[in-house]
Amino acid sequence: MSVLQVSHLVKRFDNVVAVDDLSFTVAPGQIFGFLGGNGAGKTTTLRMVLDIIRPTSGTISVLGSAPDRRNAQAIGFLPEERGLYAGMSAIDTIVYFGRLKGMKAAEAHSRGMDLLARFDLAGRARSDIGDMSKGMAQKVQLATSLVNDPALLMLDEPFSGLDPVNQGLLEDEILRASRRGAAVIFSTHVMQHAERLCDRLLLLRNGRKRFEGTLDEARAALPARLIATAKTDLSQVLGVARAERGETRSDGWQDWTLHLSDGVDPAAVLEHCSSNAIALRRWDEHRASLHDVFVQLVGADPEHDPVAAEAAR
Amino acid sequence: MKPSIDITNVLLVARREIHQILKMKSFWLTLLILPVAFALGPIFADTLEDNEPTRVTVVDRSGGDAEQALEALFAAEEAQGLLRELSRYVRRYDLQHADPQAPWAKHDRWYTAADIIAFERAGGIEAALEKIDAVRPEGVPAFEPEETQYIFSPIPEALIAAEGEAFGTQARALFDADDDTAPEIVVLIGENYPANPRIQLFSANPPQGSFVTTIQEALTADLRARLLAAQGIPPANAAAVQSAAPIVAVDTPPPGGGAREALLVRSIVPLALAYILVMSLILSGSWMLQGSVEERSKKLLESLLACIRPEDLMYGKLLGSLSVGLLMILVWGACAGVAAYATHGVIADMIRPALDPVSSPGIIAAILFFFIAGYIAISALFVAIGAMVDSMSEAQGYLMPVMLLILLPVTFLIQTILAGNSGWIVQVLTWVPLWTPFTVLARLGMGIEWWEMVGSGALLATAIALELVLIGRLFRASLLASGQKPSFKRMIERLRGTPG
Repeated sequence: MSVLQVSHLVKRFDNVVAVDDLSFTVAPGQIFGFLGGNGAGKTTTLRMVLDIIRPTSGTISVLGSAPDRRNAQAIGFLPEERGLYAGMSAIDTIVYFGRLKGMKAAEAHSRGMDLLARFDLAGRARSDIGDMSKGMAQKVQLATSLVNDPALLMLDEPFSGLDPVNQGLLEDEILRASRRGAAVIFSTHVMQHAERLCDRLLLLRNGRKRFEGTLDEARAALPARLIATAKTDLSQVLGVARAERGETRSDGWQDWTLHLSDGVDPAAVLEHCSSNAIALRRWDEHRASLHDVFVQLVGADPEHDPVAAEAAR
Repeated sequence: MKPSIDITNVLLVARREIHQILKMKSFWLTLLILPVAFALGPIFADTLEDNEPTRVTVVDRSGGDAEQALEALFAAEEAQGLLRELSRYVRRYDLQHADPQAPWAKHDRWYTAADIIAFERAGGIEAALEKIDAVRPEGVPAFEPEETQYIFSPIPEALIAAEGEAFGTQARALFDADDDTAPEIVVLIGENYPANPRIQLFSANPPQGSFVTTIQEALTADLRARLLAAQGIPPANAAAVQSAAPIVAVDTPPPGGGAREALLVRSIVPLALAYILVMSLILSGSWMLQGSVEERSKKLLESLLACIRPEDLMYGKLLGSLSVGLLMILVWGACAGVAAYATHGVIADMIRPALDPVSSPGIIAAILFFFIAGYIAISALFVAIGAMVDSMSEAQGYLMPVMLLILLPVTFLIQTILAGNSGWIVQVLTWVPLWTPFTVLARLGMGIEWWEMVGSGALLATAIALELVLIGRLFRASLLASGQKPSFKRMIERLRGTPG
């Protein structure tokens, strides 16, 4: 059974469509990357899953039921904009959020102390948040989202503002949650984290899904680029959509940059060359990176973001 | 179906709000400032009050005995005042049996010269207090006579020979001199008096009306005596005519009685309740607002709203604010109780009649209802403001009109009720839900019809239910909208619950 199922979700703010016919599912143990530029609809979707805002149409199923605060005990959430009560101690903050999620005080306290120890903050458990560094406060906030061992962990741009050490700590926590069977969704526009962590990716642009699948499927979505050196004109080889001439050597060898037709496997082109006695001195295959896919499908981050502005009203 | 209120989360939010407010220094300062002010008030009042008698010098150049007449009349007035105060004291504590025949044990007349003479002959205040103290029960405070208002001092040298304009100059110089024995009032009776009946009065400060009236009364009697003597009427006859006075029988209410005094006493507790409601509301509302602004400015809301419904967050804040308000009132009430106990009879004697109009179970229930309803009705406005602003400076823009809307009518209301007025404005304020709690509480002393209380209470409850629905919508819609001021149109849309 999927932990989260979103079906034909639409959210409009006046005349602006923030989320447009979005469907996806997230399974237990899966790490699901929610990729898109600013204003793509990532935060709006997560807020609808949390029942902070209501969809215009479509359905959401969280652990088999409609979004509701009664699901809070199974959900962990780390918002993009982070902050805690300055006058509350670290452990009191974690216990407060744990109790809001339906935990017993003693249980939340014990779990909170475990998390603080894991984050190297056990000695600061009684310190007020206002007396802590920004990095420490961010770790406390992460602890508030993990205190209830959530079955669905949602992290909105979790890596933004973190130093490399805390980024590593967060990656470890995401993997740890996944290993214990939690479904993890995180939104980001930093591709390295998605490439390292995600089992499955969803690319959004202006609220619409542009891609959903595994990392390999994403990279395969763009045609591979090949660099070859041959004496034959490679533009005529089967499966090659376009061939650009490169450096011409004195002994007749010629460098080529080949662009394959959609869906053509580079191995098939190589096989075709071998079977047709086309001599090759070089055959370098360059598969598209997730960054290339992102730029191709989502485009550069828009400077102006009408959806985000509308959603904030 | 809408989910019901999650009481556990409401209580958690309320507890956190209470903790946050209790950690504020301003809370403790405010909590203690009222009892401290009440404790220090009488001390400061005593310090600031001018208890020193005013020094008066009479310069009589007419050769008559106007000075003696003046001193005698002032002494008689002081004695009459003392007798009146003593009489009220004896009546308040039911001590007439100390000496039933003494003038101070009789309350049925306006004291005459004969009463004063009888009082002095019986030993004056010392003898009276001796008798009273012998029967005074424990807990009843001792009688404390008021200080003498005026003392007559001899003529300073500078004035003995001064004439005309120079007299005035010398008198003013004496007023300006830093001398605790110099006169503060100089009365000059000229050489040609009574042929020239002009009396000159030099005073360091504007003289009290009662002082001038007494001077006029004494000198008028003296003037008439001289004129009657000039007409050939023997002095004894003239004196008899002068001293002829009707005996005025007086039927006065006991201390704390009488229509106006009784109304004032009965209204003390209800008015204090209304005033305390306003004070604690504004204070706890402001603290709650600070908490809401922190939640917005520190980007806490999204984390909270992932765990708790906006409505539960709102109810938690209201409950927290109400609890802090009630805690403040409890502490202030306890301080008042301790003060009443510590001062034994004095305050307790005042409090007993003051508690009469608010001591029946029905009225206590009504007080609790209007108090809590008032708290919810007004605190909800603070919650709404907190949901819309990102900083305290921004909040001030909304707070000022709300404060004026509450404070101005309530200030007016308190003065109106103290004046014993229950005209149409008080009626209107009773039926406007925003002011109903304050008005009903304030009117308990002067009396309010039960149907008015029930009707306005029902209207208030309905208004609060509607207010909570509307503010709940505004609260939910405004929580995540930071960084921009909501336009009036947008606010209306949020109140109407327009999706978006």
